[in-house]
Amino acid sequence: MTAISKANPWIFLGRLWLGIAYAFMFLPLVVLVLFSFQKNRFPGFPLQGFTLQWYDKLFSDGTLLNALGNTMIVSPAAATIATVIAFFAAYAFNRFAFRGKTVFLALVTLPILIPPLILGVGFLGLLARIHLSGTLFAVFLTHVVLITAPALAIIQLRLAQMPASLEEAAWDLGATEWQAVTKVVLPFALPGIFGAWLLAFTFSFDEFIIAWFVSGFQPTLPVAIYSVLVAAIDPSLNAIGTIVFGISCLVLIGLELVLLPLLVGRSKNQS
Amino acid sequence: MAAAMTTTTPDLELLSITKQFDTFTAVDSINLKVGRGEFVAIMGPSGCGKTTLLRILAGLETASSGQLYIRGKDVSDVPVNQRSTRLVWQNYALFPHLDVAGNIAFGLTLKPHDKAVVAGKVKAMAELVGLSDLMGRKISQLSGGQKQRVALARALVTEPEILLLDEPLSALDAHLRIRMQGELRRIQQQLGMAFIYVTHNQVEAFSMADRVVVMNKGRIEQIDAPEEMYARPKTEFVARFVGTNNLFAGRIQEVGQGHVIVHCAHGQLVVSTDDPPPIGASVFVVVQADKLTPAPTGVAGENRLDATLRGREYAGSHNIYLLDLVDGTEVKMTVPQVLPVEINQSATAWFSPANASLIRGAA
Repeated sequence: MTAISKANPWIFLGRLWLGIAYAFMFLPLVVLVLFSFQKNRFPGFPLQGFTLQWYDKLFSDGTLLNALGNTMIVSPAAATIATVIAFFAAYAFNRFAFRGKTVFLALVTLPILIPPLILGVGFLGLLARIHLSGTLFAVFLTHVVLITAPALAIIQLRLAQMPASLEEAAWDLGATEWQAVTKVVLPFALPGIFGAWLLAFTFSFDEFIIAWFVSGFQPTLPVAIYSVLVAAIDPSLNAIGTIVFGISCLVLIGLELVLLPLLVGRSKNQS
Repeated sequence: MAAAMTTTTPDLELLSITKQFDTFTAVDSINLKVGRGEFVAIMGPSGCGKTTLLRILAGLETASSGQLYIRGKDVSDVPVNQRSTRLVWQNYALFPHLDVAGNIAFGLTLKPHDKAVVAGKVKAMAELVGLSDLMGRKISQLSGGQKQRVALARALVTEPEILLLDEPLSALDAHLRIRMQGELRRIQQQLGMAFIYVTHNQVEAFSMADRVVVMNKGRIEQIDAPEEMYARPKTEFVARFVGTNNLFAGRIQEVGQGHVIVHCAHGQLVVSTDDPPPIGASVFVVVQADKLTPAPTGVAGENRLDATLRGREYAGSHNIYLLDLVDGTEVKMTVPQVLPVEINQSATAWFSPANASLIRGAA
């Protein structure tokens, strides 16, 4: 093995390339974290020394933190509702053959195919008419519409792996339709449901354009960051970025530790 | 009186059960009675409707017409989850998120239940099928044979009136299959429960069942005990499907005392029969491959088949010879010895009139 890697320069070059690629991906994050703790007004060298003043400013000002709070309400709620809708829709698509099934599927997928700008304008007009515009609830509603489709796709993928005989076996043993869904289909779909929720959450968390149209005075984090950016480049943004990055890392580590063994265990089970 | 009633009521009775999918008739007016505790194998090529019939019995499909009685009760419209039948799937259909004990207990935990009672029943059933040491195992950690036992236990623990099995052994290797056949039969007899066993495997059907049903194109061709089915196939399809038979098409030329002479393309054949068809009737003469022997030399006589040797298969205890008659009819002959004949040389086979039987051909 080592003899081969010594003899073959491509292996070294390959690793170098990998290193460069990773650096290219993660350098912005490193810069972000680094300058959230530096006195520099603009990111650049030389470094002017360690400080917590940007965090201090962030917490005393409160706009961005409020926005983060808004996002942490809207995104989990929207992801949860979208996943619930997606599960039942995926179940129906998977189990039943009905007229207009393909049309229905296309309709559900439509929101991700339409440019968000157009959707945003549409939502704004609709929500203004029913006096919901400019509220957090409006963001929640529009996000549910947007993220149901990807959640549906993931859960459907999982359910497609389930042999039809599994549900039939439950009925045959005396289960009602509802019992078969809760005791057999749901446990089987669980890895897909977790994945769908995570994806839906991320979509909603990142979503800017539609939120910008409909959030009004209760901005979500991306909207708030944009308003700060428009005014001036403020190193507080680095601080909020670092906080969000920290949360993401914690979530990811949590997933690795808790969810992943569960998911791997489950997928092994079916073989 | 009541006792007499129950013994005479069959476990299962089908009255002209038909299942139509659009223009395709999967199951065509099936009539069948299964006695108390009987083991019935339904056999046929793929697409013959045997699995659809089983799904109708389980309640997973609804018959287009006909009646279905279980122990005298009309269950034609009873939904799957209220029937007293249980199905054992070909792919086992075990619940991957539950362990062995959880799978076996599934059917008992769907209604309000006493946990101790359920645990007791599960334990007893695990003992019956030999799973006691594996109760905490995940399904993914089981071998094919063990999965089969779990599927069986999961169905039997709910005390069904009839157990339906859909090719349950087809995924197992040959040795395990033979062992499981023995165990299935033992369990069936121990419980005295009617088993309906669907398979395309002749050996399985014939070695386990009290009666065998042969299906073709949605219809029943013949229902008989295995030995009877093997010795006396009643239709051309059964004769070709069951065992290794040679069929010679011909017409009745002469009816004699206890025998008939059949005119075939390659010559005349003499067949013993007590129930001769009329002269001119089109028939098949059926001769099992192991009832053919090399013709005794120097003796002229009936039922000599002059042929050319085309191939030999050596199967350890016996040899299978493939012969072509003068008219091109293929004949299979199974004999213990090796014949002193080379490929493409001529050979003569012979059978006794008593070892042949007749099937009425298409009019």
